[in-house]
Amino acid sequence: MKHWAIILVGLLAGCDSRPDVVFADAAITLPDDLTELPPGPGRQAVVENCTACHSPSTMLQQPQVPRAKWESIVGKMIETYKAPVDEKAIPDIVDYFVAVQAAQATNPGGSAAGQ
Amino acid sequence: MADGNDANGTARSRLTRRALLAGAGGGVLAAPVLAQRLIGDGMIDLGLPGGPSERPLTPRFPGKGEMVVHRVRPPVLETPMAVFDQGTITPNDRFFVRWNWDMPTQINAAAHRVAVGGAVRQPVSLTLDDIANAGDHVDVVAINQCAGNGRGFSQPRVTGGQWGNGAMGCARWTGVRLKDVLAKAGVADGAARVRFAGLDVPMVDGAPQFIKSIPIDIAMRDDVLVAWGMNGESLPLLHGYPLRIVVPGWFSTYWVKMLSTIEVLTGDDDSYYVAKTYRVPTAPVTPQDKGFETVPITAMPPRSFITSHADGAVIALGQPLELRGIAMGGDAALAKVDLVGAGLELPCELGPDEGTYGFRRWSLRIPEVTGDLAQIGARATNANGITQPAEQAWNPSGYARNVIERISLRAQ
Repeated sequence: MKHWAIILVGLLAGCDSRPDVVFADAAITLPDDLTELPPGPGRQAVVENCTACHSPSTMLQQPQVPRAKWESIVGKMIETYKAPVDEKAIPDIVDYFVAVQAAQATNPGGSAAGQ
Repeated sequence: MADGNDANGTARSRLTRRALLAGAGGGVLAAPVLAQRLIGDGMIDLGLPGGPSERPLTPRFPGKGEMVVHRVRPPVLETPMAVFDQGTITPNDRFFVRWNWDMPTQINAAAHRVAVGGAVRQPVSLTLDDIANAGDHVDVVAINQCAGNGRGFSQPRVTGGQWGNGAMGCARWTGVRLKDVLAKAGVADGAARVRFAGLDVPMVDGAPQFIKSIPIDIAMRDDVLVAWGMNGESLPLLHGYPLRIVVPGWFSTYWVKMLSTIEVLTGDDDSYYVAKTYRVPTAPVTPQDKGFETVPITAMPPRSFITSHADGAVIALGQPLELRGIAMGGDAALAKVDLVGAGLELPCELGPDEGTYGFRRWSLRIPEVTGDLAQIGARATNANGITQPAEQAWNPSGYARNVIERISLRAQ
C-alpha cells in the first residue's frame, strides 16, 4: 500500500520515486542569556561552578526554600549530574542563593531579570 | 516588545536596564494575581504564589514569536496563555520548548542515522529516507504537555522548572508508525519496553543521558509515531528536528526529540529518567513524607482553561456573557466540560473534535449577568469518567497538575 502511495506522489512530482518528505540540513543560533546574576556573597563561586551547564535564569526563579534545600540541590548536581563543582565552593554557592532569595522575599513579583 | 526580532543588542540593553533598575530598588510590584499579566517592558507575571513570578517575554529565539523565558540555555520556553484563546492548534512559533541537556544546534540530514537495536532480530541503522519509507504516513492531532506543567502553582511550592500553565501545546504531527520502524529490525520475543535516545547528551562524563522508554504495548499502538512534521512544516530544531517520538495522551517526557536510537528492552528500564525521576507517588503524600512508593508518570489527566477572560476582568451587569476556553481529555477523549463555581454548574458547548488527544474549544452563554462571578472554573471530564478535581493533590515534583483553574469576574 505504502509503496503505491509513494509512487503516486513520485509521479505527480515528475516521475521521481523519492518519498514525499524532504529532510534538509538545519542550523540555528540560540541567543545568549541576558540575565545577570545579581550581586551577593558567593556570586563568583556560582559563576565558576554553575553557569557552564546552565544559564542563570532558572536558578533565580526558584521559590523560597530553606538553606538545606539549596545544599541538597547543589549535592544533586554533583552526585547525580556529575557537575564538576569545587567542594570548597559549596558553602559559597549556598550562601549566594540564600541571600538572593532573601532579597527576592522583599519583592514577591521579582523576576530573574529583575533581581 | 521594543526589541523586535532583529537586534540582540537592543534586547540586551533593555533587560540589563531592567535588572539595574530593579537592583536599585526601582521595582515596586503589585501582589501576584492568578492570571497572567503583561506588565510592560517585555515582562509577564505568571501569578506564581509567593514569587518570583515575573519572567522576560521575548521573540529572540529562532523561529519563535513572543515566549516566556524560564531558561535560555538549555532552552526552556513557555507559551503565554493568551495564545490558547486563538485556536486549538498551537502555532509552531508559540509552542513551548523544553530541553533537559544542551541541544545540538545543527543537523546534517544526510548523515543522520537512527539505530534500532536491543532485543531485535537484526539491528539496523536507518537514514531519514529509510524512516520516511518505513510505512504509511500518518497524521495525529495530539497535545504535548510537560509533566511539570503548572509546577509553579504547587502549594507548598517545589523546586524545578517554575512553569505556569503554558508548558503545553497541540499540534498536527506527521510521521510513520513506530511499529513500522521497529519492523525494519524485527522485534524479538520477550520485548517488554522500547527506549529512545536523542542527540542531546550531557556535557559531563557520567551524568545520565536523557533516555526514556515506553511499554511495548504502547509502542505498538497505531498512533504512536516517529514524526518529522509539525503543523504541516518540518519539525523546528527547537522541537527536535529531524525526528521526534509522539505518544498521544502521554506526557511529553516520552516524546524524545532529535531521535537517534531506538532500543528494545526485555525487562524493566533502570535508567535515571525512568527509574529515578519523572515519577509520582502511588498514594497521596504530604511534604513531610519520605520513602513512599512511586511509579513513572505516564498518561495525562483531563484539563480545561477559561481563555476568554482574565482573572479580575470586569463584565457587564444585566448583559449576556460569552465565556470560552479550551479543554482536553488527556489519555481519553474529552466527554464534557462544565462551568462550576459561584453556585453554578452549567454544561458547556463543545467545539469541533479534531482528534481524541487534541484540544477542543468549549463555550458557554450566560443569558444575563446578575452579579459577580467569584471563583468560577471550567471542569473537564473524559470518556473514562475522570473529572478534574476541586483540590490539587500535592506531589514533591509538582507533576500532573489538573485542578480546576478558577478566575473571578467582577460585574458592574
